[in-house]
Amino acid sequence: MGSNPAIVPTPVEDVQGDGRWLSMHQHFVSQAHDLEPDVVLVGDSMLANLQITELWENWFAPLHSMNLSVGGDQTQHVLWRLHNGELECIQPKVIVVMVGTNNHSHSAEQVAEGIMEVCKLLNEKQPQADIVLLALLPRGEKENPIREKHRKINEILGEESKKIERIQMVDLGRDLLQADGTISHRDMFDYLHLTHRGYRRVFQPLHDLLTQMLHGDDSHLVNEIAAATHSTLPSPSDPASVAAE
Amino acid sequence: MKMVLSQRQREELNKAVADYLCSNGYMDALEAFKAEADMPGEIERKYSGLLEKKWTSVIRLQKKVMELEGKLHEAEREFIAGAPTRDKRSPAEWIPRPPEKYCLTGHRAPVTRVVIHPVYSLLVSSSEDGTIKIWDYETGEYERTLKGHTDSVQDIAFDPAGKILASCSADMSIKLWDLSTFECTKTLHGHDHNVSSVTFLPTSDFLLSASRDKSIKMWEVATGYCVKTFTGHREWVRMVRVNSDGSLIASCSNDQTVRVWLTQTKECKVELREHDHVVECVAWCEGSSAASIATATATDNRRPQNQGPFLVSGARDKTIKVWDVGVGMCLFTLVGHDNWVRGLVVHPGGNYILSASDDKTVRTWDIKNKRCQKILEAHTHFCTSIDMHRSAPYVITGSVDQTIKVWECR
Repeated sequence: MGSNPAIVPTPVEDVQGDGRWLSMHQHFVSQAHDLEPDVVLVGDSMLANLQITELWENWFAPLHSMNLSVGGDQTQHVLWRLHNGELECIQPKVIVVMVGTNNHSHSAEQVAEGIMEVCKLLNEKQPQADIVLLALLPRGEKENPIREKHRKINEILGEESKKIERIQMVDLGRDLLQADGTISHRDMFDYLHLTHRGYRRVFQPLHDLLTQMLHGDDSHLVNEIAAATHSTLPSPSDPASVAAE
Repeated sequence: MKMVLSQRQREELNKAVADYLCSNGYMDALEAFKAEADMPGEIERKYSGLLEKKWTSVIRLQKKVMELEGKLHEAEREFIAGAPTRDKRSPAEWIPRPPEKYCLTGHRAPVTRVVIHPVYSLLVSSSEDGTIKIWDYETGEYERTLKGHTDSVQDIAFDPAGKILASCSADMSIKLWDLSTFECTKTLHGHDHNVSSVTFLPTSDFLLSASRDKSIKMWEVATGYCVKTFTGHREWVRMVRVNSDGSLIASCSNDQTVRVWLTQTKECKVELREHDHVVECVAWCEGSSAASIATATATDNRRPQNQGPFLVSGARDKTIKVWDVGVGMCLFTLVGHDNWVRGLVVHPGGNYILSASDDKTVRTWDIKNKRCQKILEAHTHFCTSIDMHRSAPYVITGSVDQTIKVWECR
């Protein structure tokens, strides 16, 4: 167990020599000091790139979100960042996790263990938060060994996440596969990273879920609708039904 | 009430249920269901995720319907009754209406607070860009910028005569500015963290500040000395406001409470708990607004029972609560904002409370009827602050979109 590199917190080696990774980490630590997010996103480029879409402004910023994702990160890198200050000073209500697609040198079991380690750490450092664990998305235009590996990882995560309270696993990738099993370049321009259209398709359900988790008062709405649609629809001229809300 | 599905709808529902069972791995149930529902073979792709989609879209659509009905209702009312014209408006009834009179740009980061000068036609804004800007709200002209703070300016306040401006900042200092020379006359140090709120006592000789260091401090304006420290909040104190005779101090905090303190003794008179998220803002309801609250809570055929003093608070739980400080009770809750409530101001006429929220709107609440009277789509991003002139028909708002808007009331 100790031999699994995916669960050992490790900083990224600065191969290019521009120190960007550490700069981003330090920026996140200082952001955590000032921002008071209700939602925190933790992961790699799949979540990091969300920030430069208009969806971030329209959907995620209004939920008071903070994005702690770095492109290229593997599970052990995320673990290092989370151990070193990114989770101090904040008290989010929900944390979204998507990481693991970059752990190329690790087996499916190792990666899954790394991802669960991230969840456990989040659970320990932020016990008040609910964790939404996103299944790894399929990648590559056609069926390939990495897709198979991701399926295996997701399967393990599905089982393991049931053992921990306050974790919900969500698979957002189901709509990405076309009828013939291929992924369209319109959804993933390089067959790995999402386009704007891809983000819209994949992340709308996440936005709905987060909205419901943050404003959990919607269940009465459903019941009201169920009751209302049976009898007569509320008349638009009836202000009482509006004011009552 | 029983609902009847057509044959086609029933088949569709069955297939959607089967897809749901299948995609969630309930394979035994799926087989049993397929057998019972007499549905052999594969489930077509078009049913993939259908049940979940319907489940969530119903809520979304219903919310949209309610929102549109609200808007339609308001449009009908304004069409029939007509918004009062400029000359017919009565100061007790006027409320901010679109479009804005001015949209003031210049800050280079979110606007944190806006306040109206008690005498001149000036408004002052503070920003995360570390500056304070002064504007003329009648002409929409920019006047000047006050620089000195080295981090986000969190709150600003005028003394009752309008001669001194106080500002506080994440740089942990409080500054006093002379409004005749626009010079910084004093810088007060003493808080150990971000100073989030500042306000003058009605006598102008003392100043109150609230901080992330969990304390509230009282400062003597003439000397700049800290004369009292109020401790008790368990977390960051977000706002501090004093009542009109200066005897009571209200504060709110990240610890989700509102507290009321006796100015003289530093004693915490009451702790009000009912919000379930950070409480962002508080305001006193005195004079005619206190009478409106008493009316709102009076039961039929009885004299109003609640004596006050009254306080209103806004929180990240999206609600606004009106409290009777005398008995330490929440009297009623105003629900409607769809995101954090960030700013509150009590209408000088006493009939309304105005609120600013991260849902980008400003809402006017009718106190007596405890309901939302008007929704104003105010900004393109979080609306962080609101103030209203005591006698002239102006409301101002500030936003994370970096603008300040001046609204005329009708």
